Amino acid sequence: MDVTYAYQKKRSEFGKQCLFSDKGPELIDNFASNKKFLHNYIIKDPVSRTTLCAPIQAEHHLNTTRAEYVNGAMNHVEGGWPKDVNTADEEQTKRYRRKVEKDEGFHHTVMQLCRNMENCILQNNAINIYQQYFSDVEPTPLVERSSARTVNVYQDQSIPTRPVTHISWSPDNQTKLAISHCDLTFQAKVPDQSTRSYIWQVERISSFLISENPNTPLHTLRPEHPIVCLEYNQKDPNSLVSGQFNGQVAVWDTRKGHEPVELSVIENSYRDPVHNVLWINSKSGTEWDTRKMSEPTETLILDISKEDQSMSNALGASCLEYETTIPTRFMVGTEQGKVISCNRKGKTPMEKMTFKFSAHFGPVLALQRNPAFLKNFLTVGDWTARIWSEDCRESSIMWTSFHRALLTDGAWSPTRFTYPNLLYRIFYHVLSRLSVFFTTRSDGILDVWDILQQQKQACLGVKVCDEPLRCLRTHEMGRLVAVGNQKGTTYLVEFSENLSMINKNDKMLLTAMFERESKREKILEARNREIRLKQRAKSSHMNLNMDEGGEGEVYQGIKKSEDGEIMFTDNNVVQAEAEFYLCIEQETKANLPPEEAEEEEEEGEDLQHDQLLDDTEGESPGSSAPSPEPDKDGKKKKGKGKGGKQKEK
Amino acid sequence: MEKSNQEVLDQDLQEEGQFVVDDVSKIIKDAIETVIGGNAYSQNKVNDWTTSVVECCTSELTKLMKPYKYIVTCTIMQKNGAGLHTASSCYWDNNTDGSCTVRWENKTMFCIVSVYGLAI
Repeated sequence: MDVTYAYQKKRSEFGKQCLFSDKGPELIDNFASNKKFLHNYIIKDPVSRTTLCAPIQAEHHLNTTRAEYVNGAMNHVEGGWPKDVNTADEEQTKRYRRKVEKDEGFHHTVMQLCRNMENCILQNNAINIYQQYFSDVEPTPLVERSSARTVNVYQDQSIPTRPVTHISWSPDNQTKLAISHCDLTFQAKVPDQSTRSYIWQVERISSFLISENPNTPLHTLRPEHPIVCLEYNQKDPNSLVSGQFNGQVAVWDTRKGHEPVELSVIENSYRDPVHNVLWINSKSGTEWDTRKMSEPTETLILDISKEDQSMSNALGASCLEYETTIPTRFMVGTEQGKVISCNRKGKTPMEKMTFKFSAHFGPVLALQRNPAFLKNFLTVGDWTARIWSEDCRESSIMWTSFHRALLTDGAWSPTRFTYPNLLYRIFYHVLSRLSVFFTTRSDGILDVWDILQQQKQACLGVKVCDEPLRCLRTHEMGRLVAVGNQKGTTYLVEFSENLSMINKNDKMLLTAMFERESKREKILEARNREIRLKQRAKSSHMNLNMDEGGEGEVYQGIKKSEDGEIMFTDNNVVQAEAEFYLCIEQETKANLPPEEAEEEEEEGEDLQHDQLLDDTEGESPGSSAPSPEPDKDGKKKKGKGKGGKQKEK
Repeated sequence: MEKSNQEVLDQDLQEEGQFVVDDVSKIIKDAIETVIGGNAYSQNKVNDWTTSVVECCTSELTKLMKPYKYIVTCTIMQKNGAGLHTASSCYWDNNTDGSCTVRWENKTMFCIVSVYGLAI
């Protein structure tokens, strides 16, 4: 149909008024109905009629042709030899093979077949969906906050309850928890205290540990004297070693009832409660050979004085450290705050006790090497936790600030299992953070420190209970920590994943940090030594003069110098001056013997930097702040030295 | 006698301005014959028939090239004895406008087509 139509019209007719008029009505059509047809109608009654408003739809089915699967197998034997080649004859097959390999099409065919073959092989290989595809991209760090929750609580079964003294995880996937209870209060009235200690079953369901029965222990140990410390044999989940309150050492076998299997003889045992026992790498027990319990295989009297060893001078050991990877070395923390690094191979006691560290003001309560950095170890005592390096003996390389409450125990986060496989890691949460350590406080707070995150304060503090916490033991998977308190209750605390998962760079960063801190300490140490040396040299020089030189010499000196700058005419003045310097010299010597001066310096330094120094502070105060003090001292001494010289003259 | 150009134009306009009933009735008849012809009544086809008849008529009417608007209606009824009465009335310019109705029938049906032409 046409859309446009042009037509002509007179101008005068445009807009002309319409003159409309009516037309019609007119009939278009009219025909009557036919009466004949009426008879043909049949009335239908009733009539069923349906109506549908919804659009009409149809249902259809269709099915694609099904893929038919068939399981088949084929055994391919070397074959396809031509008829004239005898397969049994090696010469012939070799010759034929060489002929084929020389063929032009050979390389081509192999190349073609390789592609198919490779495809088939790759199809068989499992896909690692956790693979990191982009090596240059940092894995996104976890944003989740650190958190902890108490998973389970184990109560002391006897009444009155006794403090938890030691906890040990069993070696078989750490499903059992041996807890020793003992009241160590000195001369406490303990009328009918129970001597029992318990082993609890901790069931493992998927990656979580859920205790099967937190109300009744799996096994009860019934010794005659309370057990102070209890340790699982790391090789055998059934045998334990314990140190008794009366100084005896006992070996237990959980398969053989509730009494100890073997017990050391009292005469050869310790005279005080055994604070710590450890299994060492060989088949023998700590200092005790389990095969012959009558006497210890080796005894070491902890006497650091150079004179002959005697029990009266011995220091009380409070904790032991033994790392299985360096079997000849072990460390002892003493009640006097010293840490002694020992060597089992040494012949004399002095050789055995190689290094000494003055770590704390009070007993060293915990001592542990970092599982990844064996040179660095953690000590916990008084109000601080300190990290040491074996290279720096005078001061720890890092330390926490002094807490309000006493610290009672501490441990590194464990890293025993280092599965390289990423899948394993996800499944087991195995590789825990190297930089994390835990400390327990006497106000019931369990602190988690991550020295890579922050050093000034703990990155997580969990108020576990109101009673003082006594001891702590980490589960090897890194997420669980068992803490025992004064009331004899043990809590199983689970930490969030970000505290137990290792980052790619952790080890590197931590190495750098430890190295930097030890370097700083070494520089400080060297500087201190230098100053001390100067001091000593000067004072000895002076003493020499003082001893030799009587009044006459002093006199002479002055006389000699009379030609020089100083002119003393009156002898009385000279004498008075000399006496004055002598007095000062003696007084200073009495007040500050050189060794004490050292210690004071160190303490002053510690108090000054009583917090772990972070990156920026690490370098500057270490090198600048402590130096003014010794400098002052040096100046003083120099002044004295001058005085001495003047006296000479 | 020769007519001036103006007169011819006027004549044309005059003719153009008329609704010629004969032409229109022829157009309608042709349309019905071509669309329906001798077909018997069939319920399914009635819809198509009416629309084709109407469209056929309008297309033919526009080909006349006249300044008109057209209204075309078509009614098809089966011959089954029923009666039918239809009528129309208009209010328009009687000078120019006009209407034409054709009644056509075969054995089975009636077909009534009306065309109303309205001058612009």
